[in-house]
Amino acid sequence: MKYTVLCEFELSATSRTEAIVEMLSLFPVGDKSRRLLATALDVREKVGATVVHDSIALPHCRSILVDKLTIVVGRSHAGISWPEERVNTVIMFVSPVKPNSPQEHTKFLGHIAGKIRKSGDKIVAAGNQDELLTLLGFQLEEQGE
Amino acid sequence: MDKQLEKLISLHDLDVMIADLDRKDIRKREIEMGLHKNGALEELKELRKEYCKSINRKWRGLYNQLTRHYGNAVVPALMGRCAGCLTRLPTAVCSDPERNFKIHTCPTCGRIIYWAD
Repeated sequence: MKYTVLCEFELSATSRTEAIVEMLSLFPVGDKSRRLLATALDVREKVGATVVHDSIALPHCRSILVDKLTIVVGRSHAGISWPEERVNTVIMFVSPVKPNSPQEHTKFLGHIAGKIRKSGDKIVAAGNQDELLTLLGFQLEEQGE
Repeated sequence: MDKQLEKLISLHDLDVMIADLDRKDIRKREIEMGLHKNGALEELKELRKEYCKSINRKWRGLYNQLTRHYGNAVVPALMGRCAGCLTRLPTAVCSDPERNFKIHTCPTCGRIIYWAD
């Protein structure tokens, strides 16, 4: 599975919408694509907030606007209103729309679920970016296989 | 970008979301993770209905026809080719800086094309 991982360890956003926009600003796509991705992620959140393990949010969608799995990990020490719950770690990911991508999307959801199940508390308490990414099993800008 | 083209791309992503929530493997995983909400699929379908009303009838008709035929109506242009059928697209269109300000279709398969910005 090929993917790109980006990280913003000090998010300034205080609301869900702001967090999505701030994290999307790291995406390697143009402004128009960012806006459309923000809409898709917002729609997904509106039909069911993606908060797991108390304070981890997983905004995600599949879109034709990306050509490979793109992940942005964000952390806010002050916390983000999501809006029913307060989160401090956001793992945003957008999977491409390709013939085998539903399976890859499921596989990635499984990967994240496993990491949160195993080390959820440690992920929430991670003291720095490297520790957080290691706990999630990512490397910055990694081109996974 | 052409407003109707933006709406068609969003409609495509919405359809993917609906199809994903309908897939057993994805639904099972989302339930395991506590991400699944009862009624989400119906809400998305309702949202789709509302969203469709904002799309020009001509493009909505073409979109639905292409989706029925191919499963995907909107595709990116990749290296000057339609990502749906790999037909080389006209050079004049590909090199036009305003290419996303009008809706273009593939001359072979008819899919709606956009250029990533």
